[in-house]
Amino acid sequence: MAENDPIAERTDEELAREARAGSRRSFEELANRYKRRLFAYLRPRLGSDQDAEDAVQDTFLKLYRNIGSYDPAYRFSTWLYTSANRLAIDSFRRGRAARTVLVSDRGGDIPDPAAAGEGEPGGSGLWDAARTLGESRFRVLWLRYGEDMTIEEIAAVLGRTQLAVRVLLHRARTGLAGKLGPAVRCAARPQPETARGAAGH
Amino acid sequence: MGCKLSRWMVSRTEDTGKKLPGFAGRHIGRCRACGEFVRTSVSLSSRLRDERAAWLAKVPDFPLSFEGEAEPAGTVARGLRLRPLPVAAAALVVVAAALVLFRVVPRASVPSAEDRAAARAALAELQSAPGKLRGVIGGAESSLERERRILEQSLSSAVEYLQARLNIKIERKEAPKSL
Repeated sequence: MAENDPIAERTDEELAREARAGSRRSFEELANRYKRRLFAYLRPRLGSDQDAEDAVQDTFLKLYRNIGSYDPAYRFSTWLYTSANRLAIDSFRRGRAARTVLVSDRGGDIPDPAAAGEGEPGGSGLWDAARTLGESRFRVLWLRYGEDMTIEEIAAVLGRTQLAVRVLLHRARTGLAGKLGPAVRCAARPQPETARGAAGH
Repeated sequence: MGCKLSRWMVSRTEDTGKKLPGFAGRHIGRCRACGEFVRTSVSLSSRLRDERAAWLAKVPDFPLSFEGEAEPAGTVARGLRLRPLPVAAAALVVVAAALVLFRVVPRASVPSAEDRAAARAALAELQSAPGKLRGVIGGAESSLERERRILEQSLSSAVEYLQARLNIKIERKEAPKSL
């Protein structure tokens, strides 16, 4: 289907420009391209698959209504993830407030989103290991290697400095290298095996 | 400390493309674990990119709905769209300003043909004897008064024009007490 459809061959920025000019079909194509990627990005932060799906839907609806404000000078993905980030923060705050109410009502048996998200989707592989590093480290890894963003773009998306992004990336790489095998741990001066040892000494 | 710093330098090289400092290179040459970190770090980027598609394929598909949403508005149309609240506020300000500055009284009736004829006759009389008029008045009034009179005449003419043009009656407000 995609081979016969010229819209599938267009770049994100071309589609965004068409959507900006009023093409709903172009925007739907963009949404289809990015919905799973955005889901994967937002899922660790939100409490459940359903929350993540809702956040993706909300993000695309918001972008659909505000497509006129998209500046074609920038990559569409940067704009998308910046908006998604803001919406996710709002959603997370609302969700946290709701969970607080629920916890007080139900006695506090709400599962930890990070623990619930571990190993999803799939159950093995590097990205699954990345998911267990923590939400912020996973996000920078995803933006860097999942979306091929530059440090500058990631900083813009997350609203952080470039140095902060590089520190997060370094910690994520160190953590991931630690999960890949004990050989990465420093052997120059053998130390007791501790969680701290995995990140160097 | 040497390991931490060297690994940070490895990450810096990976992210910024800057050259690895000499001390870090020497440390990595000596430290087997840091050498392993370099190899892992370098392979991570390609491995993460390679595994991305397979990992995303495991994400369950779900529909997105844009039903009920209008077509995205083009940028030109968006630029021209007026927002009701600011427009109403602006209109209110204009009306309030007009009410403060002017007092508009609806005219009872349009000036009759006789009124117009009388006005034209008076104007013709003034125009036909400007020298006489100037001679009579000039002796009695100072230059300042003359100036005021000229201004008053200009204003009267303007008011007459506006009255005729807009079919309204404009009354003169009382002079402020300070004057």
